Amino acid sequence: MINLPYYPGCTLKQRSSHLESSAIAAMEKLGVRLSEIDPWTCCGAVPPPSSERIMNLIAPVRMLRALRDSGENRLVTICDFCYNVLKRANHSMRTDDLRRKRVNAFLRENEPVRDYLPEEEPYGLPDYSGEVRVYHLMEYIRDEIGYERLSKEVSGRLEGMPIASYYGCVMLRPRKEIELDDPENPTIMEAFVSALHATPVPYPYRTECCGSYLSVSAPDASSRLAAKILGSARDHGAKGVVVSCPLCFYNLESRQEQIARSSPGFKPMPVIFFTQLLAIALGIDDPDVLGFGMHRTSLEGLLGASAIGAASGSGREKDR
Amino acid sequence: MFEPRIVCFLCKWCTSAGADLAGTSRLEYAPNGVNIRFMCSSRVDPEHVIWAFRQGADGVLIGGCHPGDCHYQDGNYRTQARIALLRNLIEDFGIDPERLRLEWISAAEGSRFAEVMDEFTEQLREKGPLTLAVRESSR
Amino acid sequence: MKRVGVFVCHCGINIAGTVDVERVVEVLREDPRIAYATNYIYMCSDPGQDMVADAIREQELDAVVIAACSPTLHETTFRNVSATAGINPYMCEIANIREQCSWVHTDVDRATDKAIRIIRSIVEKVHGNEALEPIPVPVTRRAMVIGGGVGGIQAALDIANAGLEVILVEREPSIGGHMAQLSETFPTLDCSQCILTPKMVEVSKHPNVRLMTYSEVEDVSGYVGNFHVRIRRHAPSVNWSTCTGCGDCMEKCPSKVPSEFDRGLTERGAIYVPFPQAVPNKPVIDRDACIYYRTGKCRLCEKVCQIGAIVFDQRDEIVEEDVGAIIVATGYDTLPCADLGEYGSGEVPDVIDGLAFERLLSASGPTTGKVRRPSDGKTPKEVVFVQCAGSRDPERYKAYCSKICCMYTAKHALLYKHRVHDGQPYIFYIDVRTGGKGYEEFYHRTEEEEGVVYLRGKVSKIFRDGDKSVVWGTDTLTGRNIEIRADLVVLATAIVSQPGVQDLVRKLKIQVDKDGFLSEAHPKLRPVESITTGFYLAGCAQGPKDIPETVAQASGAASKVIGLLANDEMQHDPTVAYVDEDLCGACRICISVCPYDAREFDEEKGVATVNEALCEGCGACVAACGCGATQQRNLTDGQIREMISASLGEA
Repeated sequence: MINLPYYPGCTLKQRSSHLESSAIAAMEKLGVRLSEIDPWTCCGAVPPPSSERIMNLIAPVRMLRALRDSGENRLVTICDFCYNVLKRANHSMRTDDLRRKRVNAFLRENEPVRDYLPEEEPYGLPDYSGEVRVYHLMEYIRDEIGYERLSKEVSGRLEGMPIASYYGCVMLRPRKEIELDDPENPTIMEAFVSALHATPVPYPYRTECCGSYLSVSAPDASSRLAAKILGSARDHGAKGVVVSCPLCFYNLESRQEQIARSSPGFKPMPVIFFTQLLAIALGIDDPDVLGFGMHRTSLEGLLGASAIGAASGSGREKDR
Repeated sequence: MFEPRIVCFLCKWCTSAGADLAGTSRLEYAPNGVNIRFMCSSRVDPEHVIWAFRQGADGVLIGGCHPGDCHYQDGNYRTQARIALLRNLIEDFGIDPERLRLEWISAAEGSRFAEVMDEFTEQLREKGPLTLAVRESSR
Repeated sequence: MKRVGVFVCHCGINIAGTVDVERVVEVLREDPRIAYATNYIYMCSDPGQDMVADAIREQELDAVVIAACSPTLHETTFRNVSATAGINPYMCEIANIREQCSWVHTDVDRATDKAIRIIRSIVEKVHGNEALEPIPVPVTRRAMVIGGGVGGIQAALDIANAGLEVILVEREPSIGGHMAQLSETFPTLDCSQCILTPKMVEVSKHPNVRLMTYSEVEDVSGYVGNFHVRIRRHAPSVNWSTCTGCGDCMEKCPSKVPSEFDRGLTERGAIYVPFPQAVPNKPVIDRDACIYYRTGKCRLCEKVCQIGAIVFDQRDEIVEEDVGAIIVATGYDTLPCADLGEYGSGEVPDVIDGLAFERLLSASGPTTGKVRRPSDGKTPKEVVFVQCAGSRDPERYKAYCSKICCMYTAKHALLYKHRVHDGQPYIFYIDVRTGGKGYEEFYHRTEEEEGVVYLRGKVSKIFRDGDKSVVWGTDTLTGRNIEIRADLVVLATAIVSQPGVQDLVRKLKIQVDKDGFLSEAHPKLRPVESITTGFYLAGCAQGPKDIPETVAQASGAASKVIGLLANDEMQHDPTVAYVDEDLCGACRICISVCPYDAREFDEEKGVATVNEALCEGCGACVAACGCGATQQRNLTDGQIREMISASLGEA
């Protein structure tokens, strides 16, 4: 069993706990233990648009530095936002001399008064300059496990299932800092879907905006965008949409009732996390692990009326 | 603030042309270096470098074409080999080898030239003036 | 001690704005090493030059230092002035206080101090200079032109018409370049092939031109006036001297690969002539595509050739030639559609680039000039043209403007409208740039009379939906998002340097800029010369340009070559290496480091010598010489030591 340092972030402990539970169980089956780093703090939540500031880098760099000092050189995260924040902070430590100096100096000055870091460790250690590689779980599966091996490990449960991939924004952008895939014409999710023996469905809206936080400030705008994305996936023959970002999941899955109210003719569309799909393909049936109770839109259209399908959609009341 | 004095030996084809480009692009950089233009960085005799340190330089920059781009086929490879040896030698003389810098800067890299001058000046400011016994005794 | 005069130029405020020129002169006048110092607002102007000449005579100066701009600009000017005033031109040196001082600093005190130290360093150099005469070197009065597009053809013809021999080397099986692919040319709409093919024939038949197609420059050695080139003539696998060009072999060839000339819209055989008007009109076998070379079976072409011109075991031939000057006219390529992920990565069949659309418009093209889309051969009724596909996009693709796309896109839309009267063309643009004679008028005609819809904004995405290519864009003038369900999309992809150019410039030892375009010696005053003497530039290899500009630059380069080759002898820079025979220890290290074989050994005297005609003055042997026997004229170790000391001394 490979021990892989893992950063969960806030959402995976709350609204998207099924993203975490399915990921941990699925990776166990693949021989990788996601071991939560301890302690961890907020990553900073969103990548701040201001480039001169360094405050937003303190939290992620402190964790990455502690991880390096403990002898690790890898960190995996699942949430797209956490990935974006950690990876970009790491990139800036690798490439921006001034910010590297300032952030490290700040961390040094503050260490004695921070009780959550062991006191004796940080002194005399070199500046953190991006030594840890930050992985998205999807990236880890692609680069370290490999789709070839994955396609041999999974069962044929998803054979031929038409699934559309939805990328969202922050998993791929900005291209020069993230370097995961081509943001204009990505293929990593389709390749993942293929590796699970399902059939990837290409459709034009797979990289379009889901509305992000507009679902708070301008919910109608977000609904319009979501309706287009889900409608386009359906028109191209998809029975479900796979996502990796908790906010995409919220906008595309949890808000389908609102979407239906503002978009006449809208039909519900199953939306599922890539980790859930992976868990199913690896033969996991435990409803608590798969977390279908967290779904508000039934997965029957995708998974059928089978045991796993029936478990879905039952959590609507609970969540309200 | 301590202002280091830098002697820059630049090849005519790449680095001096790059320094000219920094000028035509109006890129500001620290005025601590005086450029001496050679046809090729391979004209730099290690003795020139040592002489410069003796005469009061706090740093010496040698600028040539990128590997493979030498106007004279392979002059810059010779420079590289000579300077690597020279760095070992000046360390024995009590001169911090970081005070001797070799950079490949092409005619298109005006901004790189400006960057290097700023960076090197800053680095030498941190190191402070070079003190050499030979200089003290000759004064 | 020499009487040295220093002349400090203000260059208007370019120098005087940052360097206190008055103080410089005051300080220099106190310097015992300097006999005379003065300043003037524009030293390179006529009165400035006269001032230098007069001072040389009146002050009886032995040497002068001009403190002004970079020596690349006016070294020659002031050396000529010195010569007319009666001193040896090598007694004149330039101190660069503009590009390497006033333009890059703002603190007046520190810039002034630096300027003084630069000048003093150069003053020390001239104190050590000796009077030199240029070394006469024989010149090979022949030229080579690399690249057989319209630029290369024009340059070759101009040189040949001046009575000089010229070798025209082309990598492809035929000359003609991209211009042969074009339909009609803006703004006059004359047929591209009609104006090009006569020139192709003329150059191939010219008695002074040696045409080498399907050939590449393998290696260049030597120097201006005396280059030695090795050219690889790829084996066409066909005996061109007996082949009649009947075409039977091409008809029978069972192998099919996409035609480069038709931008993949049609197929060609493994044995092929790129296009019917090719010069020479002789086929070659593409060995990568040929079934026989891959599997050892077929030889169908050999069976049908009645003359027996097919030679499967023909070998590449290396031709060695001596030339005095080389023109590089290797042209351009376009950014592949596959690189544009947001525009379908080249996988949407009805999204094509401008050159492919030229083939669709061309009367000699795959559709004989009828506009048919590649996917199903239907006439497209709505066509979207996307300008700046990869240009003016510093974040992701090319920062520069590709210059010709605005005009050719207008031409495309207009020609499309002429062919498909009920069709609707749309053009997405950032700006429309129409600098050129008759260009603006042409654009207005397209926009106002031909009903082409111009939309100011970029296209964000193109994807296939059914048989349509859906274009998403923005009209920034109305602020609206636009969706067009187009039948055909034409991308004006960025003009980029040839993929092979890095390899070529390494062989030629010339320079390219950050985008891979060849660097000119001076952007304004020497636009057709390379920084390396003896090489000249023409056409898009130097940067995006249209046909008239390419032809003008080609003729410019040709006239430079004709000028260079006008005499049997040329003058070689005398600042070469020399040997103090008394000091030479006969170690021969100098011989091993010389890249030009200019260092030899005199067995009789037991000393190393210098072949001055071959010495390029790099100084590698001088630095390598262990006993100081080898020195460089006007840049001796003694001079360098004095220069270093002066540059570090108190200002």
